Amino acid sequence: MIKKYLLYAFLSVTSVITLIPFIWMLGASFMFDGKASVFPPIFLPDPFTIIQYKILFERLNVWTNFFNSLILSTMVTVLYITFTSMAGYAFAKYRFKGKKFLFNLLLSSMIIPSQVTMLPLFLLLKSMGFINTYMAIIIPGLANIFGIFLIRQYCISIPDSLIEAARMDGATDFQIYRKVILPLAVPILVTLAIFSFLGTWNDFLWPLIALTDDSMYTLPVALANLMLEHTKDPELMMAGSVVTVIPVIIAFLALQKYYIKGIMMGSVKE
Amino acid sequence: MSEVLLKNVTKIYDGGNKVVTDANFKVEDKEFVVLVGPSGCGKTTTLRMIAGLEEISSGEIFIDGKLVNNLPPKDRDIAMVFQNYALYPHMTVFENMAFGLKLKKVDKKEIDIRVKEAAKILSLEEYLNRKPKALSGGQRQRVAVGRAIVRKPKVFLFDEPLSNLDAKLRVQMRTEISKLHKQLGATMIYVTHDQTEAMTMGDRIVIMKDGIVNQVDTPLNLYNKPVNQFVAGFIGSPAMNFLSGTISDKSDLTFTSDKSELTFNFSSEQKNYLKEYISQEVVIGIRPEDISIEKTNSKSIEQECVLNVIEPMGNETFIYFEIEKVQFIARVKPLYDIKVGGKIKLYIDPEKIYLFDKKTGNHLFKNS
Repeated sequence: MIKKYLLYAFLSVTSVITLIPFIWMLGASFMFDGKASVFPPIFLPDPFTIIQYKILFERLNVWTNFFNSLILSTMVTVLYITFTSMAGYAFAKYRFKGKKFLFNLLLSSMIIPSQVTMLPLFLLLKSMGFINTYMAIIIPGLANIFGIFLIRQYCISIPDSLIEAARMDGATDFQIYRKVILPLAVPILVTLAIFSFLGTWNDFLWPLIALTDDSMYTLPVALANLMLEHTKDPELMMAGSVVTVIPVIIAFLALQKYYIKGIMMGSVKE
Repeated sequence: MSEVLLKNVTKIYDGGNKVVTDANFKVEDKEFVVLVGPSGCGKTTTLRMIAGLEEISSGEIFIDGKLVNNLPPKDRDIAMVFQNYALYPHMTVFENMAFGLKLKKVDKKEIDIRVKEAAKILSLEEYLNRKPKALSGGQRQRVAVGRAIVRKPKVFLFDEPLSNLDAKLRVQMRTEISKLHKQLGATMIYVTHDQTEAMTMGDRIVIMKDGIVNQVDTPLNLYNKPVNQFVAGFIGSPAMNFLSGTISDKSDLTFTSDKSELTFNFSSEQKNYLKEYISQEVVIGIRPEDISIEKTNSKSIEQECVLNVIEPMGNETFIYFEIEKVQFIARVKPLYDIKVGGKIKLYIDPEKIYLFDKKTGNHLFKNS
């Protein structure tokens, strides 16, 4: 019992610590200029104001940046899930020549830091004429070995007999993927979708490099520009952060119910 | 009409591992054939080759007279029931059964009729909206059978469908599948490692060992006329007892076991077969049910034995003893006044003995 209480106490403390900056961000975004930069920090705005949001929407083209982020994150996520799930399924369940070699080659690419690939990637996309277009963000995000690996591991746990049963039922390879594998892989697909959506939404460096026009900026890039011009405005910055973070939280809450285990139960008896 | 014909079918895996060698047999229309053998004997591989899930290394498979070697499973018009059920977990019972028909773009009304018909046969009507995880093992297996029935295939394939069920349910499902076979009048090929299932369900049985088909025959013929020592030992429970020895011809044709603990003379009918085996090594086989505690035949050999283990089954008793350090088992009527370590006189009827060539394992004469 004591162990349980200690555990809960520990979890409560850590969650409060995690939440503090978040609550402060929310509070500060509703303060007047200069009110947030005090010590000890204040959490409740007094007096309460939405002036920072007004300034934010006046100075920045928030809606444009917001839609840039939304469209890019959604497109990247949809395409990423499509390609990685196909590849992961193929690596898990198909027998073809060079499969092991190809997979290991892809895995070994994980040791290359993404920063190293930025310059060649930029030059590549530039020669393709995609710099300062959505494609510059979408193409590098189409697939990665992390997602392929995760889906492959998950698909390995799907019994072969399910695929064979579908084959006996007359399903084509694509129908097996679409009607048997995808529905079964929902938990892992949702997990990856959250990763991909958050990653693209929050990504700063690559959009900063690849997008050069104000109207193409995603929210984090636009927000950073705000910081350069208004270093003394933490309240305005926090308002911008709230606008950036809220859609992500909504997306996460909407998807988290699919984080359910036991979807395979009852299919086969081991 | 839907026959299945295998001609010299061989399966060699990539590493050169030969799992099925020259399998030849024919499954007649509406016949229930059981493939049986110990694990690793190639029976499941054979079934999977018929299904089209496994490529054939050499040989030919015909379904309904049509060569199917290169046809994908969906074009062979067969259905298969898997050992682990292989139900789609995200679909309801109805959807599981309808999946194959939907893919074939069968009319919705027709799907509904066929699924409900199958559900009725299998008593699954009230479970049609449930997901597999809400069903018991027996119900899941019935759904798997239902998924096969609705397709109305030419041939049904079963891959050890009952091995995951508990003993009682297994007996029940066994009779249900037999009933279903008669009801549907379909050709069925059934794989199992359980000889009881094979004996009770099959019209004919194909016995395999190490990838080789040993014998194809009716259950009773396999029991009475096994072609070799393996078949004799595999069919029948408890298994046949074996003892090696030599045939000699001093005054009469005689069998003497290696350490001379067991000797007996042959009947005149047996002698006809055995002349050429004089002074050769042989193995005798005695079914546990042919050893008795009463002298039923004047020629019976009396053997005094020490009881090692006694297994009272209620209606009969299994007793274990040794002859020349070889474990023997006898199936006798219920005994009440015996103890482990005690001595008992047993009688073996020499006319019911099987004789096998020690080197090849082949049966030396047809005991009828």
